[in-house]
Amino acid sequence: MKKWLVILLAALFILTVFAPAALAESAPPDNFKIGSFTQVNAPSHTATFVPSDTGVATEVTLDESLKPEDIKLDDKVMVSFSNNNGTEVVSEITAMFLGLTRDKLIALLVVGLVGGLLSGFIGSGGAFVLTPAMMSLGAPGAVAVASNMCHKFPKAMVGAYKRFRYGQVDIKLGLVIAGSSIVGVQVGFQIQKWILDTWGSAGSDLYVSFVFVIILVVVGGIVFKDAMGSKDAAEAKTPKLALRLQKIKLPPMIHFKKADVVISAWVTLPVGFATGLLAATIAVGGFVGVPGMVYVVGATAMVASATELLVAFVMGMWGSAQWALAGLVDIRLVLIILAASLFGVQLGALGTTYVKDHTIKLVMGTVMLIVAVSRGVKVPVYMDHLGIISIDKSLAGVLDTISFWALIAALLVAGGIITAAMIKGIVRARVDEREVTAAGNA
Amino acid sequence: MSESPKKKPYFKALLLGALSAASYALLFTHVNQVMEYFVKGGWYAALPILTALYFSFVHGSFASTLLSIAGLQAAKGSGH
Repeated sequence: MKKWLVILLAALFILTVFAPAALAESAPPDNFKIGSFTQVNAPSHTATFVPSDTGVATEVTLDESLKPEDIKLDDKVMVSFSNNNGTEVVSEITAMFLGLTRDKLIALLVVGLVGGLLSGFIGSGGAFVLTPAMMSLGAPGAVAVASNMCHKFPKAMVGAYKRFRYGQVDIKLGLVIAGSSIVGVQVGFQIQKWILDTWGSAGSDLYVSFVFVIILVVVGGIVFKDAMGSKDAAEAKTPKLALRLQKIKLPPMIHFKKADVVISAWVTLPVGFATGLLAATIAVGGFVGVPGMVYVVGATAMVASATELLVAFVMGMWGSAQWALAGLVDIRLVLIILAASLFGVQLGALGTTYVKDHTIKLVMGTVMLIVAVSRGVKVPVYMDHLGIISIDKSLAGVLDTISFWALIAALLVAGGIITAAMIKGIVRARVDEREVTAAGNA
Repeated sequence: MSESPKKKPYFKALLLGALSAASYALLFTHVNQVMEYFVKGGWYAALPILTALYFSFVHGSFASTLLSIAGLQAAKGSGH
């Protein structure tokens, strides 16, 4: 069963290396700019656009599909350009930063809290809820990914520090995975940027959703099946694949003390690369990182999820720098989510000290599968935006609703399992303590 | 754990809470200027990164202190 994970990782490498080259032939090279419109000339279908980086006002031509009256002056927007019969025209205008209402604020705080709880508990998890959540609140895909990543690394830092104090982090494993993942982040970032330049926001949304669904279904399925199979096991067993890979004595061999594993660097580095690749494109590197560390390297879910927080910090910071250089981070969203997630992540981290390996796998597998449904149903909607297929407006509405409620369900189920396991653990610990005290007094 | 359950760090929580709240208030009252500079890219990219780090230190310590006041501690026997 675990060999599927290796096949998946291999497929991802191939996709990464060859996809941009193969797809480049199908569309002309386009670009996007961030800035604001200062003036619109409806009769000539032109507008004055001021890019944020240069500040020099330029006259741009609007595509026929855009209505000049819909353009809001002075609002920060992301503009995609395309080539129309030799002239460069504005093909798409997306509001860069969503307007914050009270409801959106509350939604971000709640999602931040539960997302943080998940991250602290399973090493990643805020992202796969937060990126779609920001997108469904109206942020463009790229801004959602950028803001999520910029919120993730300081949160991961706090979580990693906590779990280090609980003795769960393998620093060497974390640094090796993080180092190789930085290469993956670079590659992933180029892909995301290229997709945004070529197909605009809708293409970027479709790509993010598509990769999301495949990873979530395959890896989530493996983790869930394993969690169900190891329900009654008192100790975590090292997966067969990891045991076999540990027998490959191809130098350099690395000894990871906390994870209690000696394994070839040739096995560890690809896990890191895939983690980084996914982190940069869809901001959920942990979905390959944690299962990779468990099933490929052979660490326990406890050590893997704790170590992933260190990985997320190192490469999240690197990745955030890239996204910030492109000017895509919405600091308001970052700070609002941090306000709640910094509580969540520390709560999740201390929660792990009360549970067994099985619970961590159960939460991870369950959430990944439910979120896969949430993203999967949105794929036809994005394909419709791109004109690949055509679907009814009412059907699109229904799909949106299903997507939204699946996300809420994932949050509730994950939050529920973690809270229940934590309360059970805390109560058990207190009873044990009382018994010890009573025995000591007797 | 180093935190003693008897001595709850109320003063520390109050101080960090006030600092965190003041930082949030300062940023969100000047949100327009902030958003203007934070998305410029280039060297300005350091602004969102450093801001996120600053808030994680201040607000993260506040959250940690508040959780220990609420009696939420790691299981005994975990860690060093």
